[in-house]
Amino acid sequence: MKDSRIEERDTTMNDTKISARGVQVYYADNHAIKDVDVEIQDKTVTAFIGPSGCGKTTFLRCLNRMNDTIDICRVKGTIEIDGEDIYDKRIDPVQLRRKVGMVFQKPNPFPKSIYDNVAYGPKIHGMARNKSELDEIVEKALRRGAIWDEVKDRLNAPGTGLSGGQQQRICIARAVATEPEILLMDEPCSALDPIASSQVEELIDELKENYSVVIVTHSMQQAARVSQKTAFFHLGNLVEYGDTDEIFTNPQDKRTESYITGRIG
Amino acid sequence: MTDATASGNAQGRSRSLKVLDERTRKRYAAEKRFRYYGMGAVGVGVLLLVILLVSILSNGLGAFRQTMFELEITLTQAQITEAEESLLKTSVYRGFIEENMRAALTEAGIADEVETSQAMELLGGDAGSTLRNWAVGQRVTPVPEPDEGVTRTFNFLADGRIDGYFKGRVTMESAERDSRVTPEELALADDLREAGVLRVEFNPGFLTMSDASENQPEAAGLGVAIVGSLYMMLIVLCLALPIGVCASIYLEEFAPKNKLTDLIEVNISNLAAVPSIVFGILGLAIFINFMGLPLSAPIVGGLVLTLMTLPTIIISTRAALKSVPPSIRSAALGVGASQMQTVFHHVLPLAAPGILTGTIIGLAQALGETAPLLLIGMVAFVQEYPAAPPEGLFDPASALPVQVYNWTQRADPAFFERASGAIIVLLVFLAIMNVTAVLLRRRFERRW
Repeated sequence: MKDSRIEERDTTMNDTKISARGVQVYYADNHAIKDVDVEIQDKTVTAFIGPSGCGKTTFLRCLNRMNDTIDICRVKGTIEIDGEDIYDKRIDPVQLRRKVGMVFQKPNPFPKSIYDNVAYGPKIHGMARNKSELDEIVEKALRRGAIWDEVKDRLNAPGTGLSGGQQQRICIARAVATEPEILLMDEPCSALDPIASSQVEELIDELKENYSVVIVTHSMQQAARVSQKTAFFHLGNLVEYGDTDEIFTNPQDKRTESYITGRIG
Repeated sequence: MTDATASGNAQGRSRSLKVLDERTRKRYAAEKRFRYYGMGAVGVGVLLLVILLVSILSNGLGAFRQTMFELEITLTQAQITEAEESLLKTSVYRGFIEENMRAALTEAGIADEVETSQAMELLGGDAGSTLRNWAVGQRVTPVPEPDEGVTRTFNFLADGRIDGYFKGRVTMESAERDSRVTPEELALADDLREAGVLRVEFNPGFLTMSDASENQPEAAGLGVAIVGSLYMMLIVLCLALPIGVCASIYLEEFAPKNKLTDLIEVNISNLAAVPSIVFGILGLAIFINFMGLPLSAPIVGGLVLTLMTLPTIIISTRAALKSVPPSIRSAALGVGASQMQTVFHHVLPLAAPGILTGTIIGLAQALGETAPLLLIGMVAFVQEYPAAPPEGLFDPASALPVQVYNWTQRADPAFFERASGAIIVLLVFLAIMNVTAVLLRRRFERRW
């Protein structure tokens, strides 16, 4: 406990990207997230683990205000990104979501061409002045999504015609095309086979050079493989948060230990 | 009970799978029975449809063919001037037709047996005015010599009774009891037809002429009704589509879910179930009595039908929007699209086929609607074509279904045939619209 506090202070001094304090989320009367405090660091992969329905995804969706689209959802407490409270009235969720990209559980490419899928974000944000600039952005994003070589010859083919793993990487390319600073990934590999998963995991590892990545996962092996920090959620509480190695080898809380060893969840 | 099941199980286990046991046989029998019920239900539906189509086609196709006198008419400028200066203009023109009729009878080689005046009896009442309409048009173009004749071949409609005789509606027996036709005239008609003066031909006038009076069924056409219906469809399309689509997009994508929107939602569904005649009363009270719009005008009909079509369009549009997967919305919002960009760039294009189908089905409903139009005076007898829009929207006009209703009210059985013909025209329009809906749907859905 003591160690982690020291480290927390260190990161605050260095580069805390997201800092959540006393976050409460309610779905109508259902208290989904209970008083969560967490500091997420820049250029790090942070994994959220925990049994189904524990609030990982809900908390993740708070970070780019995707919960705004759910009428019955209420969020309390403060979430600061780069020191700005993102639930401030003056914060525009559209700008926030450009800064905080998101990849969803199920690959959800638009029913358009591969090119249009990736180019859509840059287009609506006016990031390219002409076609060649846009082409460059698309190529860069697809390269970062580790899918360029597979699709470079058929950029005009529909994105929905690709395999699941390719679709997910297109979605990752689409998310990074708008140059976000934080990338939220909601179980990005749950619909993928082991080979596609390992490709995405490699990709996540590369992405942490430029972004702060927050990933929700059900696979503890995956969390152990890709993340530097791990947060364990249980029944809406953040039970334990710390270095991934620490959590997996020497959990402080009984519940974390039980979950990791497979006794609950 | 337990024993029975146990022994049944034991028996089942020992038996070969090639032999059906009692339960399986019963299940298959039930399945088979259900299939027959289904096939029976489909069969009854198809049979009724076939009966409907056959009866309408057999009654109505005759309306597209009409008995006509084919006459070559030569008119001089002087004759036209003379006729236009006289008091009973059309009867003078009828006189001109008589002269040419004599020539035609001579040419056919039956002038000896047939009196020209008798042949003239078989001519429809509107022949004079048909000739006059043409002649008045001719006078405008400058013809240098007053004596120089202009010649043209005309198809003058024969009297409705004669037409009915050739179509089997009028017989020698019925003619004896009829004040408007005699068996002798029918015999004469037979002779004329043999000689080639009288023939049954396709009658384009059925689609272009306006309605005619009770005793001229041969001259009654659908022109004004078709134009009136087209005007109303235009109004419905221009008003109901944008209003309906905007309302549904707002309700589905933007509106907060609260008591008020719930109430609106319920009421829209209720509106869809309101009997159409109620909309007619509303139109009469609001558009005509309160706003002072003219009676029988396509604008009022269009507005009333818009009110009627709106719920249909809103409901189908909302269903189409709902069927767009939420993951598409999340994807768009996730890359930082605003809610409006999400809707217009991603949701609406995906919902478009559903919206189009709903709109066209709503329009087809409106096209076939009669009851509200009766209340706002579209049932009136309209002789003149409405002008071109937008002024024409305020001119009196008729509508296709109302014309059908109108004609079925009349005593002369010739109008019954024309009503069936009008139904065929209406059904053709509806079929075209529905096919368009299907084609549009296919086209847009096939994109990916």
